[in-house]
Amino acid sequence: MKLAGLKSTENAHDESVWAATWVPATDNRPALLLTGSLDETVKLWRADELDLERTNTGHCLGVVSVAAHPSGVIAASASLDSFVRVFDVDTNASIATLEAPPSEVWQMQFDPKGTTLAVAGGGSASVKLWDTATWKLIASLSIPRPEGPKPSDKSNSKKFVLSVAWSPDGRRLACGSMDGTISVFDVARAKFMHHLEGHSMPVRSLVYSPIDARVLFSASDDTHVHMYDAEGKSLVGAMSGHTSWVLSVDVSPDGAAIATGSSDRTVRLWDLSMRAAVQTMSNHTDQVWGVSFRPVGCNGNRGGRLASVSDDKSISLYGYS
Amino acid sequence: MNKTEEEKELLLRQLKESLDANPDDPSLHFDLGVCLWEKAESKETAAEHFVKAVKLNPQNAAAFRYLGHYYSGVSVDTQRALKCYQRAISLIPDDSDSGDALCDLLEQRGKGSLEVAVCREAAVKSPKAFWAFRRIGFLQLNQCKWSEAVQSLQHAIRGYHNSPQLWEALGLAYQRLGMFTAAIKSYGRAIELDDTSIYALIESGNIFLMLGSFRKGIEQFQLALKISPQNISARSGLASAQLGLSKECINLGAFRWGASLLEDAREVAKANTCLYGNMSCVWKLHGDIQLTYAKCFPWMEENHSLKFDVDTFNTSILSWKRTCLMAAVSAKSSYQRALHLAPWQANIYIDIAITSDLMSSLNESYEHHLGVWKLSEKMALGALLLEGDNYDYWVALGCFSDHNALKQHALIRGLQLDVSLAVAWAYLGKLYRQEDEKKIARQAFDSARSIDPSLALPWAGMSADTHARDPSLDEAFESCLRAAQILPLAEFQIGLAMLSQHSGHLSSSQVFGAIQQAIQRAPYYPESHNMYGLVCEARFDYQAAVASYRLARCAIKSSADTIPKSLFQDVSINLARSLSRAGNSLEAVRECEDLKKEGMLNAEGLQLYAFSLWQLGRHDLALSVAKNLAASLESSSAAASVSFICRLLYNISGLDSAINSILKMPKALFQSSKMSFIVSAFHALDKSNRLESVVSSSRSTLASPEEITGMHYLVALSKLVKNGSESYLGFDSGIFHLRKILHIYPNSNLIRNLLGHLLLSSDKLKYTHVASRSCRIETSNVTRKEGLKSAWEILGAGGVACNVIGSIDMKFSFPTCSYECLNGPKSVQELQKCLRREPWNHNVRYLLILNLLQKAREERFPKHLCIILERLIIMAISSESYSKQHMSYQYQKFQLLLCASEISLQVGNIIGCIKHAENASALLLPDGYLFFGHLMLCRAYAAEGNTRKLQEEYVRCLELKAEYHIGWICLKIMESQYELADSNILESNFMEFLKERKNSMDYWMAIFSLVMGLFSIWNKDLLSAEKCLAQACSLAGSESCLLLCHGTICMEIARQCHASQFLSIAVRSLTKSQETYLVHLPIVSILLAQAEGSLLSKEKWEKNLRQEWFTWPPEMRPAELFFQMHLLAMQSKVGLDYSSRVESCQSPQKWVLRAIHTNPSCLRYWKGLHKLVELA
Repeated sequence: MKLAGLKSTENAHDESVWAATWVPATDNRPALLLTGSLDETVKLWRADELDLERTNTGHCLGVVSVAAHPSGVIAASASLDSFVRVFDVDTNASIATLEAPPSEVWQMQFDPKGTTLAVAGGGSASVKLWDTATWKLIASLSIPRPEGPKPSDKSNSKKFVLSVAWSPDGRRLACGSMDGTISVFDVARAKFMHHLEGHSMPVRSLVYSPIDARVLFSASDDTHVHMYDAEGKSLVGAMSGHTSWVLSVDVSPDGAAIATGSSDRTVRLWDLSMRAAVQTMSNHTDQVWGVSFRPVGCNGNRGGRLASVSDDKSISLYGYS
Repeated sequence: MNKTEEEKELLLRQLKESLDANPDDPSLHFDLGVCLWEKAESKETAAEHFVKAVKLNPQNAAAFRYLGHYYSGVSVDTQRALKCYQRAISLIPDDSDSGDALCDLLEQRGKGSLEVAVCREAAVKSPKAFWAFRRIGFLQLNQCKWSEAVQSLQHAIRGYHNSPQLWEALGLAYQRLGMFTAAIKSYGRAIELDDTSIYALIESGNIFLMLGSFRKGIEQFQLALKISPQNISARSGLASAQLGLSKECINLGAFRWGASLLEDAREVAKANTCLYGNMSCVWKLHGDIQLTYAKCFPWMEENHSLKFDVDTFNTSILSWKRTCLMAAVSAKSSYQRALHLAPWQANIYIDIAITSDLMSSLNESYEHHLGVWKLSEKMALGALLLEGDNYDYWVALGCFSDHNALKQHALIRGLQLDVSLAVAWAYLGKLYRQEDEKKIARQAFDSARSIDPSLALPWAGMSADTHARDPSLDEAFESCLRAAQILPLAEFQIGLAMLSQHSGHLSSSQVFGAIQQAIQRAPYYPESHNMYGLVCEARFDYQAAVASYRLARCAIKSSADTIPKSLFQDVSINLARSLSRAGNSLEAVRECEDLKKEGMLNAEGLQLYAFSLWQLGRHDLALSVAKNLAASLESSSAAASVSFICRLLYNISGLDSAINSILKMPKALFQSSKMSFIVSAFHALDKSNRLESVVSSSRSTLASPEEITGMHYLVALSKLVKNGSESYLGFDSGIFHLRKILHIYPNSNLIRNLLGHLLLSSDKLKYTHVASRSCRIETSNVTRKEGLKSAWEILGAGGVACNVIGSIDMKFSFPTCSYECLNGPKSVQELQKCLRREPWNHNVRYLLILNLLQKAREERFPKHLCIILERLIIMAISSESYSKQHMSYQYQKFQLLLCASEISLQVGNIIGCIKHAENASALLLPDGYLFFGHLMLCRAYAAEGNTRKLQEEYVRCLELKAEYHIGWICLKIMESQYELADSNILESNFMEFLKERKNSMDYWMAIFSLVMGLFSIWNKDLLSAEKCLAQACSLAGSESCLLLCHGTICMEIARQCHASQFLSIAVRSLTKSQETYLVHLPIVSILLAQAEGSLLSKEKWEKNLRQEWFTWPPEMRPAELFFQMHLLAMQSKVGLDYSSRVESCQSPQKWVLRAIHTNPSCLRYWKGLHKLVELA
């Protein structure tokens, strides 16, 4: 299990690159890398040479999150001013513009079936679910507030929701908050289930294991990566090694490894069986905001790929094997 | 070293021996233990000895301490170590070694509470257990018990006053308690003790920041950075201190300074973001700096020599805008990074909102709406979602929103949260003003102002309501000035300049500074350049005004359509006016012609056009333009135009044409004060009084006292012209008029000064004496010159107009001037005051020299005055202004040279005297003046004894002819004293001269007779002398001096010729002399007494003699007077006793003695004394 640097594009964006995800391959094209940046653009890149496919503009502020539909046809990008733009990947035609109150759009993810888009609702302390057919808001999963004297107490900013993740079976939804707690929801009943405790600082990234719907990985500012049994409400493992905030986590398609990006400017590959970092990539010169494994596609993927994006405006592509 | 080893060995051996001898001595055991302890290998045996020592003497604390060290360090038995230490402390609580060791052990074992208990026990037991206080202090600090910690630490510091850690801890405790000055002192002490104490440096820097003393903060942080260059706190502190300082500068209006500070701060902050990229606050600081930079970066005119073409101006503006925009963009991305790192921080949303608002104001095309909300509105909403109870965010939303309803709602929400939110009130007022709800707006501004008077907006809002005439113009100006001073915003500053234009403050420095700053921040706005031009014009800097009007036109052209045509017209006319004022008429005409082509030449433009044409000498064209102007007259600006036309006509075609056209115009046009002045001036020059009716009707418009006195001034001048002859002005009628007016307006300096001037200029002797009384020197408004001459000039001239300077001190002379002008010393002082105020004023210096010379003359040229005068004159003559060829300067120089010559003569430097007088005579001046130069030369050669030269100069004098009586008299004296020539020529000349000047002819004849009489006396021809003097007395009857002379001569004749009829003539003259003057001349009375005595009138003799006594100042009484008093005293001794009389205050003998004492060489007195002694 190792990473091998394939390609690194300096100045891929004019400003810091903040978000990255892979758009799954469709029938007539391979998977594409989708990145969002502070320069208010979203760019599509073709692996392995990282050729720029297209630059999408239209956001007023920096792009904080990008998400790709499992079908690979549509994708969404969200900026700091809380506009979510849903567009056709191949034509860049706008499909919908979802507007939320400011501060209420952070990480986004499409559910595995592609019927719902979950959006981490930031200051609203909730996760918003949008129907992908009608682009209407269908539900808002709120984190129950601890009993406070006033409803408008400042305590709700403690529950500022930064990250969201769907379980591979689509039944569970987890969201990470600024105070370090992770909340797990039952999607079908739209009901809060429980908190997962353990982190002491904001949880900026969450991902479920593709092979086991119970296993949830979380990355937090407290420099740790946790592995939870999301159903069993227990911390299964903790991995430390980063010297600064862990900003992003993604799990490999085979479920055997996770990759993390951190403020310490490194990308690490962790072997889950050993629960230890097996490789540290330090080719970025500034903090790494996003890491993303390419999903296993149908048409001739030559091995796994991992992309990382960073504040140093560059995108790096690694081979994972 | 070896030696000490040996000594130790020796000591050890001795101890062992004595221990053998005395095995139960605990102190020996202890000593031996200490000796052994120092060796690493013998600690075990040492411990054994300590145990023995302790057993024998359980009070030995030191032994317990050593045992403690042994158990904790050598054989690790913590339990025992603890016990030993405890024992040691309980014996001696001050023992810091044991205490600290014990506490460390306890802490290692996690027994915090026990540790506290041990410390407290020790602290209670002994106030000198400083170690315990230190520990307690640190622990309390740890538990955030700040006030208790202060006490403990203060106590501990008494023991360890050189411990930087303790001072640091104390500083921290004070800081947390909010006692910042105490904290700064404590940190300062810590830094003193340990200058590498980075914590203290940073914390004291932070406190300085909090207290707003950014400069000191910067110092501290820079020191900290020297120690640790990568320290984030120090770097952030430095950057924020620089930011704070720059904001201070910007609030003062020093944009360039602020910008340069920000550039430094930006570097520091940028470096910080590279090192600590995942800290939200670091990015926010960088954003703050960039945002401030974007808001303050000033536009600069890069090159003053550039030719004001629109393109260069445009590029300069664009590059300035780009710099601002770049900074804003950088700020925005920094804020976004900060937000991305900490999205739960509401204030960053507001920061982004502010930045995007600024960007859209800098760049109109920037905003592209994605939804219904503007970005800034939306981000403000984001902040409110997170912190809905923050009233500042509501106000921000109110500012950013475009929808008035939402604005109002947001501001009112803010006020609901905090009713004393001045900013919200202010913006609410602004909103209502825009919606034309003046009354509510005013109320809102009023409440904002009463809550927080240091807020700029309400002041500006108050001043904006001027057209409603509610606040007066001055009040509005004051409000706006305050607003602009609190916050140097270009809008306020331009508004201020506009207000100042109407309220007459255009030339004030506040406005000048403000509008300069406005240009730096709003260079694309034509009005700012235009106003700057107006301000420069008001300050008489026409070149700068022209330049900025040109810039204003560039700005108009570059912003094309949105600017109304009228502004272009205004600016162009301003430009033409400034050009013409700067003396560049050609350009001005060109500008006017351009305007004419555009058809935008209004009345003012036409005036300028005509004026510039006139200046260029194109009179015909000027007249035709003036006709155009006359044709286009409107009632509003009529006065200015009509007065302009009249003056132009007068200047081009003369008085008659001007008067004729005035007569043709309707009278209604002249119904204003300005017109009245102009018409009156014409009227004054017009001999035939054609304008009588116009003048009288227009004068009814004069209202204010200033205008009325001004008109009277003019009237007085016109009387001078009208009532005078060709060569001679009618002073009397002018003076008469002014005197009348002065009774109505006694406070008018204008009238007073003119009166003084006229009085001095008229050739009536009487008048010159009162001249200086008519004017008043006021120190308060010395800078303003009113009328032709200022008060001090009149005073100075009056001081030298009379031969009597009027020293109060009678030591030097007995003034005989009957006009009592006793202002001499005052004028010298006043002139000195003037000279001190205006050291460059050569007029003052000149007058001062003349006055001083007068004084010196009166005091018989004392040495010190001569020296002062010499130096003053040298300095004055060397002044540059005397190299000018103008008559008045040359005349002053002439006078100064004569003064110098006179001084030289008086101090006996005849060569210098001749040199100065020759210099003076060589100047190009009318003969009448030069006469005096040559007269001076006559005197000099006479003093030298050079008869040939004297004769030459005398002849020259006769040729030149004096313009003044006194010149002739002096020449006459010279002539007869040195028997120069036939006196007839001179006499006939003088008579001729007298006939020309009828004024005071008798007076000067009398003086001439006096001189003739004096010659007769010198020639021992007493009888003819008496005749001359009698004639003099009859011509000028009231001159006491003449009468005295006459009386004296008569007495002398009576004495020599025994002619008693002369005695009675003498008595008559002397009595008259005695009566005429208020201050009695000496000698008159004694002579009278003698005469009366000779006529055998003893009573009158006594009376006059007594009177004589009082006419002398005490220190100047002559010996003869004492002697005479002795005679008087003898008389009273014989007769009745009049003890109250002056002669009886001492015995006759004493009087004689005083006489002898004063003049011991007179035999007569000795004889008198001898007689007295004999009598006794």
